[in-house]
Amino acid sequence: MSRAFDLVLYGLLIACALAVIRTKDLLAASIIFSTYSLILCLVWQLRGSPDVALTEAAVGAGVTTVLFLVAVARTSRRER
Amino acid sequence: MSNHPVVLAITVLFVCVGAFFFLVGTIGILRLPDFYSRTHAATKCDTVGAGSILVGLAVYTGLEFDSLKILAIAAFVLLTSPTAGHALARAAFRTGLVPWTRSPDKGGVG
Amino acid sequence: MRRALTLALLILASVPLLYAVSLLPPVGSEDNPTYTYVVPHYLEEGPEETGCENIVTAVILNYRGFDTGGEVTVIFTALMAVFGVLLIPRPAEKVRQPESAVPVSPVTLFIVRTLAPFIVVFSVYQIINGHSTPGGGFQGGTIIGALLIAASLVMGSERTQRLLPEGVRRWLQPAAVLMFAVVGVTGMLLFGEYLSYPIEGEYLFLRVPFLTLVEIGIGVGGAAIVASIFWAMEGSDG
Repeated sequence: MSRAFDLVLYGLLIACALAVIRTKDLLAASIIFSTYSLILCLVWQLRGSPDVALTEAAVGAGVTTVLFLVAVARTSRRER
Repeated sequence: MSNHPVVLAITVLFVCVGAFFFLVGTIGILRLPDFYSRTHAATKCDTVGAGSILVGLAVYTGLEFDSLKILAIAAFVLLTSPTAGHALARAAFRTGLVPWTRSPDKGGVG
Repeated sequence: MRRALTLALLILASVPLLYAVSLLPPVGSEDNPTYTYVVPHYLEEGPEETGCENIVTAVILNYRGFDTGGEVTVIFTALMAVFGVLLIPRPAEKVRQPESAVPVSPVTLFIVRTLAPFIVVFSVYQIINGHSTPGGGFQGGTIIGALLIAASLVMGSERTQRLLPEGVRRWLQPAAVLMFAVVGVTGMLLFGEYLSYPIEGEYLFLRVPFLTLVEIGIGVGGAAIVASIFWAMEGSDG
């Protein structure tokens, strides 16, 4: 059961990673990347490392996304 | 942790209500016509779905410190998730996104 | 032609990598070097050798104390790089972003203000208690930094920056590096080696203050750096 849940999470991770690469809209890519971090945070927690999970949630899903959004706001929204 | 049938029944009830709201909310995100209604569906997912599941887990844990923590998480979810939905919808409206309407002459996409 | 070349190069590069992967011991096998030497040593000897209840803290602040010191230096250097790139004076154009056209909603403002004390309490708990529970200085600091960013978004950067005036901020940004240096040199003077913590003897009472000081330094420095990077990128200085 837990193995199946792991596999679902890994599948979502890969899907998110591919989506980030394929998305030309940088705003959308930032949001998807934040989702990726959130799923990765779950994976860390399930793997028994709450420290890393906390860092991933705070830095990966929180701060990095905001910084990406600010960067997109200051430059252009489309990938060229 | 308790295995009393009443506790189990209440837990199952809360978790099922939560799962139902997640299901409906997800269908809503996929099927509803425009940004506003989809935001509405997503916010329902987060607020009622997650809140109900957390309350169910707190009931299952019983009277312990952990259940207090779970209830605190539920309270924060109940505060933050509607706020996020509000901020999204408001930002969209203020930047001029026109809500969808059924009649084509009001600017919607039909 | 170029596509074929790229593909060939990729395949060529992937062959040794895949071969190396095939040489790795199977994931989760009990005979892996990590399970036979390093981890058992940390798990069995860690509490006595370092005096830490939490094994993660033992690794981060004791066994790998130098690494952590290097990491906070790297983060501080990253902040310097951001400043170096973004704070170049540009006389021709004013870099300031126009304020958002959407006025801040009172609901959002109220919620952020209501939650702020809880968030601060949580992160202070993480920083202070980090040496015996999951979490620690860096996590707690990042949470405070995220709170500062949220406050900047709802109250405006100018008002938030008044919480951390320019002169204070400049000293908080290198707090982690400075605290590592202070604690490290103190340890060197008292116990002979850089960053050494007492685990027995008459100075034992210094161990918890040392660890807590380093955690507080990492937390405060992390918070200041995260918020400063945001302010620098947003164009209202760091």
